[in-house]
Amino acid sequence: MNVFIREMKSNRKSLIIWCIGIFLLIASSMGKYAGLSASGQSMNELLAQMPKSFQAIMGIGTFDLSTPIGYYGVLFAYLVVMATIHATMLGANIISKEEREKTAEFLFAKPVSRNRIITSKLLASFVNILIFNFVTLISSNFLVQNYSSQAIIGDITILMGGMFILQLMFLFIGTAIAAISKNPKTAPSLSTGTLLITFMLSVAIDMNSRIEKLKYLTPFKYYDAKILLFDRNFDAVYLIQSAVIISVLFRITYVFYKKRDLYI
Amino acid sequence: MQKIILIEIGNWSEKENLNVNVIEIKNLTKYYGKARGITDVSFNVEEGEIFGFIGPNGAGKSTTIRTLLSLIYPTSGSAKIFGKDCIKYGPEVKKEIGYLPSEIFYYDKMKVIDLLKYSASFYKKESIKRIHELAEIMNLDLNKKIDDLSLGNKKKVGIVQGLLHEPKLIILDEPTSGLDPLMQQKFFDLLLAENKKGVTILFSSHILSEVQRLCNRVAIIKEGRIVKVEKISTLKETNHKKFKIEIGAELEKNYFNIAGVSDLVVKDKMISFLYRGNINSIIKKVSEIELINLWVEEPNLEEIFMHYYEKEA
Repeated sequence: MNVFIREMKSNRKSLIIWCIGIFLLIASSMGKYAGLSASGQSMNELLAQMPKSFQAIMGIGTFDLSTPIGYYGVLFAYLVVMATIHATMLGANIISKEEREKTAEFLFAKPVSRNRIITSKLLASFVNILIFNFVTLISSNFLVQNYSSQAIIGDITILMGGMFILQLMFLFIGTAIAAISKNPKTAPSLSTGTLLITFMLSVAIDMNSRIEKLKYLTPFKYYDAKILLFDRNFDAVYLIQSAVIISVLFRITYVFYKKRDLYI
Repeated sequence: MQKIILIEIGNWSEKENLNVNVIEIKNLTKYYGKARGITDVSFNVEEGEIFGFIGPNGAGKSTTIRTLLSLIYPTSGSAKIFGKDCIKYGPEVKKEIGYLPSEIFYYDKMKVIDLLKYSASFYKKESIKRIHELAEIMNLDLNKKIDDLSLGNKKKVGIVQGLLHEPKLIILDEPTSGLDPLMQQKFFDLLLAENKKGVTILFSSHILSEVQRLCNRVAIIKEGRIVKVEKISTLKETNHKKFKIEIGAELEKNYFNIAGVSDLVVKDKMISFLYRGNINSIIKKVSEIELINLWVEEPNLEEIFMHYYEKEA
């Protein structure tokens, strides 16, 4: 419990800054929507004439930008990028920082097992990403609802559900890499590198339909706003795949961290 | 009635003679990849003793200690603390261990008192009173941020942190670096007081004089191997003195080539050598010549090691 509280305290500031950032991102984007919606359908027509690769990079795809939720669907891709960067960094740092900041000799000389320390740290990370997700949900609903006549909480909740699974996956990518990595300084950069590669892959798939089969390799494709908003449901294959990835990474985090020498 | 008491006393003294090993290290070997950490290290630390662990930097002192605390795992061999395997029962044995690492790094943004409370929260003991007691002895300001502390003050935080839960075994890794002589004295007094209560201390250092002052027995480690485990009293007997003499007139080269003198170097008017034996006889010899200057020093650790090397070879 003491390690959990310590981690909550030490991550508090950064979490607050992230939450303010995410609120501002949504607020400013929806502010732009106000201007955009005045032009009505002409925006959709204009964007439809843009090259497909441009649309893919911007994440526009097939969204109807004239509706608030369609516009939000594009914004969601950016929210996901922020949420996963936060989760990855959090996961990599929370595990590797004791070694990086040389507090490992203090903490691990205490009468607690490594497993218990990992559990406390994972629990603290879990609460952190949950708060992140909840703040995004509340701000999104509040800010998007301003422009919409229909209730949109259902749409946003399902998107946030997808985002949370993504957050979990990237959190554990961070912790697993930090647990395996013998040099704690490399863990955060390796994790964000992994994030970047999977994100680029998801953009590449949008741009080029010939490599669509690769979509299973990048979690960013698992919870695509277009599909979520259309189906209003999660794809079972992706859900199972996510569960497998999360449990494998979870296991790796414990097993590797327990077995290796601490970097002191 | 009388009889029963006698029997009890008998049992008691038997217990006293039975040396309980608090630490038992058996053929402990640690390689970092191909790089040597320690090779085949074995020694025991008995209950209630202050055991010195001495060797130059990089000899493997910290490696041994970190293995005892299961911060790192041995390549082969094993170690027991309180009779229990130090890795398998790591969390359990660490309840009664206080550890002061050689380099102190703490969560920078914390205040001293918060760190100490955090440290105390790992032990199921009430230790707030003890924290204030120790801080007073060590003259440590509890309300400062750790970030703002000097090296010596950080070391004090480490000392309080290591002692606040009143452990039965204290492991110190080069604890005196950064402490001024006055603080060092207070710290040693503190350790001796703990030791009197029955606490066992493993004291690692590269400074021979402090180990000599404090310890009952000592293990000497060099390049990952234990060179010798010896009582300090025995070590003192075999101790060398380093002589350096400046003379006015040139002297016959072999004037000091007597029993007990080694490493004799005569360079113009400077003579230096190591001496081991009765101090009176060498002083007599020195007094017979005209001196300009004289230095008598404790040989440094390296020279002691040289001595052990020669013996080994």
